[in-house]
Amino acid sequence: MTISRRVFVTSGGLALFSLGFDPLFLSRAAYAAGRSALGPSDRPVLVCLFQRGAVDGLNMIVPHGDALYYDERPRIAIPRADVVDLDGHFGLHPSLATLKPLWDNGSLAAIHAVGSPDATRSHFDAQDYMESGTPGVKSTSDGWLNRYCRHDQEHADTPFRAVAFGPQLPRILAGTAPALAIDDLQAFGLKMPREAARDRLTRAFEALYEGSATGLLASSSQEGFEALQALKRADPTQYTSANGAEYPPGRLGRSMLQIAQLIKSDLGLQIAFADVGGWDTHVNQGSSEGQLAARLRELAGSLAAFSRDLGERMRHVVVLTMSEFGRTIRENGNSGTDHGHATAMLVLGGPVNGGKVLGRWPGLDPAQRFEGRDVAVTTDFRTLFSEILSRHLGAPDLGSVFPGFTPDPTRFVGAIRV
Amino acid sequence: MRTNLRSLLILAAVLALPAPFARGQSPVPSAQDSALHALNRLAYGPRPGDVERVARAGVMHWIDLQLAPERIADDGVAARERSYKILDYDPAELAADFAEAVRQRREMRRELIESGDTGRGRSRKGAGAPMQEFRKLGGELQALAVMRAVMSERQLYEVMVDFWTNHFNVFVGKGADRFLTPTYIERTIRPHALGRFEDLLVATAQSPAMLFYLDNVQSVAPGSVPPFARFAGQSGGRRLGTGINENYARELLELHTLGVDGGYTQDDVINVARIFTGWGMALPRRGAAFAFHDWAHDRGVKQVLGVKYSGGGMDEGIRLLKALARNPATIHNVSRKLCARFVADDPPDGCVDAAAAAWARSNGDIRAVLRAIFTSPDFWAPSAFQAKVKTPLEFVVSAVRAAGGEPDETPRLAQVVARLGQPLYLQTAPTGYAETEAHWVNSGALLARMNAAVALAAGRLPGVRVDLDGVVPATADRDALVDGVNARVLGGAMSGRTRTVIREQLADVGNPATARALAVGLALGGPEFQRQ
Repeated sequence: MTISRRVFVTSGGLALFSLGFDPLFLSRAAYAAGRSALGPSDRPVLVCLFQRGAVDGLNMIVPHGDALYYDERPRIAIPRADVVDLDGHFGLHPSLATLKPLWDNGSLAAIHAVGSPDATRSHFDAQDYMESGTPGVKSTSDGWLNRYCRHDQEHADTPFRAVAFGPQLPRILAGTAPALAIDDLQAFGLKMPREAARDRLTRAFEALYEGSATGLLASSSQEGFEALQALKRADPTQYTSANGAEYPPGRLGRSMLQIAQLIKSDLGLQIAFADVGGWDTHVNQGSSEGQLAARLRELAGSLAAFSRDLGERMRHVVVLTMSEFGRTIRENGNSGTDHGHATAMLVLGGPVNGGKVLGRWPGLDPAQRFEGRDVAVTTDFRTLFSEILSRHLGAPDLGSVFPGFTPDPTRFVGAIRV
Repeated sequence: MRTNLRSLLILAAVLALPAPFARGQSPVPSAQDSALHALNRLAYGPRPGDVERVARAGVMHWIDLQLAPERIADDGVAARERSYKILDYDPAELAADFAEAVRQRREMRRELIESGDTGRGRSRKGAGAPMQEFRKLGGELQALAVMRAVMSERQLYEVMVDFWTNHFNVFVGKGADRFLTPTYIERTIRPHALGRFEDLLVATAQSPAMLFYLDNVQSVAPGSVPPFARFAGQSGGRRLGTGINENYARELLELHTLGVDGGYTQDDVINVARIFTGWGMALPRRGAAFAFHDWAHDRGVKQVLGVKYSGGGMDEGIRLLKALARNPATIHNVSRKLCARFVADDPPDGCVDAAAAAWARSNGDIRAVLRAIFTSPDFWAPSAFQAKVKTPLEFVVSAVRAAGGEPDETPRLAQVVARLGQPLYLQTAPTGYAETEAHWVNSGALLARMNAAVALAAGRLPGVRVDLDGVVPATADRDALVDGVNARVLGGAMSGRTRTVIREQLADVGNPATARALAVGLALGGPEFQRQ
């Protein structure tokens, strides 16, 4: 005998409720049991890409119109001749040239001088703050994307509402709202040569976890089993990349391809997250070519392929890049840059107010620098994230997403068209 | 309202208790439960029969013995270690080989460029060949760690080696760390894993692996010039710096000692970096040993945490490290981290205070600190039992031990640990891997663990030999089988519910060996075994 799914879902929800878990989980579970998991294909989607290690915003979106930029970086500045000019003052690193058509068609914008109000130069702390959404407060246990999911229940009818690509669920999606971590869509599930044996084993583990798991083990396993069923029905891997899109080799390209597959399979994806490392360029970061150039090429290739692959569906998609802080204005003794303060972020997609470098540029003048050495933050990252949550995803309540912070719409940089 | 909340919390606490307590039995843990708890925390879980053995000998007696690993014979591991080439290498020879590989790779790249072959994949692969040997070395290093964790009788020692390796994280994939990491593990971490914290801290600060990983080899006083032209340009395969690099200084304060709230400032970080200018290494072709380069050292006066350092020289760094090792912030930070490993993700103040007091009393004797944790009431509180979720390493190693398995000579079992999310020596961030449940538990990871468990029980998990005959006899008596799996594989932790489900699954499986593999796979992949 095996336990029926309906019973599993209901009793699992009740057990969690009595353990003091958010009762929303119960309503979500009941909702899921009574409804098809398919979401509408015009659901707005947010894809967040975390550049871990602190990207050098100044060599990504280059202030080539500023002489100080060249004075401070004799060995690593991008020569004017190589910069892909955007507006006469800023330009793209040559490795990002594949993104220029997206800039020209108005679906790509950059926000400069964005960052944290907290002064930390620790990767660990700054990433933590950017993911918890509470800079300066270490005790926050959940991430801001998870809090958004918890407080905006409208899209909570599918286990694929929020998906992180990677072996672990990142801090930004940690919390009581369900979220999936998927390392590889193709390998997601129990491995058994025959389907009947696979289904049977799945039911057995489902019953085991339903009976004896507590806490996170219980909720995570339930999410996993729900997701398995939905994936089996929709089979996202049937969607190969369209319009001749070619993703670059490597983990980032694969993640972006799989995010596109999930979007196309209409499983209700609303929030996707992927991360990419290699930005901590203390030593020999290079200029038009080199270490940073190679990382940026992979980033641009992945974004361009994603946009091409999704084609018309980019109408409802916004991709946002983020990084914990920027790097020093002046190059260091190792032809690299050390931990700085503000950096640049990119937004890409149909709803984006593109073709512009947004945010107030503080300049590189020593008097304007943060602590005398780094690009000052003129846009709190929470202001940018708030704008995207409210104007793109239609988030109703940002106070609970960024506790202790009141987003001021007059300070929105205008990343999303209204 | 308040009463309601409290009663709900009490109910939650009762429901969250491990099975024996939840069933309303006496809240005093049995000798068996205590033995299982100690084996779960001080060791990588019990092998079949361990729970009974430890319970019979007395759990405190076993803990005392684990704290004195030099008194535990470990012939099995010693025999296995002989097959690891990595332990025979002379560090200086390895360094010279690396220098040669770097030279060859540069040569091959130049040839490829000159021949006009810019085919990205091909030239990359071709030029990577000289480094192949060092990538293999990384695999062997991982395999050695997993073999020791599974097989050593000195379990607590291996757990502490893992703890300190993670605390003083280096990344084996970064340049010279490809060949420096084996020496780092064998000669820096392992000799001090149960010694004094101060000695361990000084050893890591003097290890080329750490100095290279956190860029201190690049950090020189501004304006300093190397004495011989032949030194200019190269150090550990990378260019020498022309100024200070704060990386090591910052992580030393934030991660290794004081903790992020340890009360230091950006000025302190800069001054620590100045103190450590000159702490570097010889060139790889000259053996890559630790070296203090007097010419690179900042001889000016520095001030760190209000203490003045003047006179210059290497002694400044040693004085600073000793002061950091005795700083109350360090004592609290590292004690808390130890308690998070051994007691609970968010450890109660009681055990942290006990550990810190033992630290202060013993001047940082790691054994004394551990003893204080293992004798604190918080360690033995029923709420601590089964309270922690296993990391991927702990899960794989404990599953192999529970199934009476033995890793083979390949790195394939270590690759299983990597696929579950914890590739050893490959954590790029200096934080090391997280210890908390929220970091490791998610639906995808759980499914991967279930897969690994089923494969292990069926003898299909790569890199490990399993012989279930020595664990539970294959029998047609299903109840006896489930009893055997509970006692021998789960150490008696099987819940009534799990027993019912496994029993049901076995109902129509005819072949006793198949039934046994299924029962063991479900037990190892099930919820009880994810906890410790």
